[in-house]
Amino acid sequence: MTAPAAGGPLAAALASLAELDGVASEFKGMVSVTLPKHRIVEALEAVKAAGLVMLTDIFGIDYLTYPGHRGKRFAVVYNVHDISGAARLFLRVELDDGESLPTATEVWPGANFMERETYDMFGVVFEGHPNLRKLLTPEDLEGHPHRKDFPLGESPTLFNDGRFIDPPAFRAGLMGKDPGLTGWKGGAREGVRSSHGTLPQGPEEGGEP
Amino acid sequence: MSLKTPPRPAETAEQGSFSTEYMRINVGPQHPSTHGVLRLVVDLDGEQIVSLKPQIGYLHTGFEKTFEHRTYQQGVTYSNRMDYLHGFAHDLAYVLAVEKLMDARVPIRAQRVRVILNELNRIASHLIFFGTGLLDMGALTPFFYTQREREKILDIFEMVAGVRMNYGYFRVGGLYQDVPEGFEERVRAWYDDFQARLDEYRNLWVGNDIVLARTKGIAVVSRQMALDYGLTGPSLRASGVDLDFRKATPYSSYEDYDFVVPVYQEGDLWARMMIRFDEMVESARIVRQALDMLEPGPIKDPDRRISLPPRHELENSMEAVIFHFKLVTEGFHPPKGEVYVPTESARGELGYYIVSDGGSMPYRVKVRVPSLVNLQLLEPSSIGGLFADMVINIASFDPVLGDVDK
Repeated sequence: MTAPAAGGPLAAALASLAELDGVASEFKGMVSVTLPKHRIVEALEAVKAAGLVMLTDIFGIDYLTYPGHRGKRFAVVYNVHDISGAARLFLRVELDDGESLPTATEVWPGANFMERETYDMFGVVFEGHPNLRKLLTPEDLEGHPHRKDFPLGESPTLFNDGRFIDPPAFRAGLMGKDPGLTGWKGGAREGVRSSHGTLPQGPEEGGEP
Repeated sequence: MSLKTPPRPAETAEQGSFSTEYMRINVGPQHPSTHGVLRLVVDLDGEQIVSLKPQIGYLHTGFEKTFEHRTYQQGVTYSNRMDYLHGFAHDLAYVLAVEKLMDARVPIRAQRVRVILNELNRIASHLIFFGTGLLDMGALTPFFYTQREREKILDIFEMVAGVRMNYGYFRVGGLYQDVPEGFEERVRAWYDDFQARLDEYRNLWVGNDIVLARTKGIAVVSRQMALDYGLTGPSLRASGVDLDFRKATPYSSYEDYDFVVPVYQEGDLWARMMIRFDEMVESARIVRQALDMLEPGPIKDPDRRISLPPRHELENSMEAVIFHFKLVTEGFHPPKGEVYVPTESARGELGYYIVSDGGSMPYRVKVRVPSLVNLQLLEPSSIGGLFADMVINIASFDPVLGDVDK
């Protein structure tokens, strides 16, 4: 199931990335290299020259609520592989809110939609992009939906007797992060206890007790 | 709309004072030829395409965000809803990624059933490709023939999963339940029937003069262009790149089967059509081989962290009841980490990049959907061609808009 360790292009790419201050790590056979932001275009050119000629994906990750995360809030991941599909590499750049990245469309024209999607979902600006507009969300939508502080936009489940289940609190209980359904240790269940039959105004993510 | 009006074409000496203007045409989003809700803003110089801008997002449903708020096992409900024509590919890609995270060991019977269903689904998807693609050329009849065959495949899916679409039949660690009695005979009967149908299709449109005239040498995607734009799947192999993740990084027992990855060098509409025909032949072969190798056995990972305990244990084991309750309400907790498993769907490379924070729900799920990236090739391959060819060109990349918009 894991990608076989290939000698050729992957080793060459890793060697050239080490010169660009890349820090490599491995998890379950997947090799990731974290790079400083200003070297990313150089790095992409280097891996392309080393034989990883296909850019498969660019996407963001928001580490805002990741437990124990140190470092910058966002990561942008570039997923590249060679022409045989066996050697695959993930290049990572870490960013804070408001930081921008140089565009990869000069190296791979196919980065166009991928960067637009990342911009749309996370608000990461790619400098030099030929047409950096939203890709998937409507033009009148404010904010970037995949940021962790963007609400899911669901409504509480209301029962006849006035009880309700507040979805974020319910889920927090399921995940063991909060005394909810499975974490019930006596006392009233979340939702029954609070505010006797009135709906909370604007449920927030994370499940306030 | 921030698109600029294109400049007026330069007047030539022959034209003299006769001035022409580009015509901007809005194609879609609600039109059968766009295969979903794809909107194209096309600028035409007479019949020739000058520029083409896809406008997408009409089906954006936020599946990736939804994944973050559901347990890992619940994710199977959502994954197949993206690519509604090849749903099993999404299910498979999703469960493979979670299984990699959990180090699950999927029994061989479950792997083979997964392959059978995945390949049947690939054929069903390609049948839709031919039906609607030929419809775009004005051939109405093939649509009914391909639908007839597809219905038979959907009948098999209904028998197995209970539904004809949005299956949710694969589970992390195996399958929801074993295939029903009579499944093998039914697939074998389908196989024999399908071989005859393939001959019928060959007679009907492979080598048909009109099809050749409409597709040969039109909307060519060169090998370099395909690589630059990240094209994957059959459309990439039609441009001369031999890349199929069923061969490159075999998953779910694909290494056991003897099949050929068809590759065409032309990169034109004809190659993109014919490669899918050859793939149907090969997929049917894989189905046949997987059926022959299918042996009775368990269909779930016995690991109690992942799979529900068997029903009979619930009646006399308190522990089993507790495990059952915890798995159903809370789900399992994979270790922290980030995984990605590339798979081959009917449209190209499909993979789920899953970030786990150690909780029972994924921290982040990024779906690498093939249709979205492949759609970028539409503009460079259509420019300079005729408008009527563009309609076939859309079909030739076989985008599913649910897959594009997520």
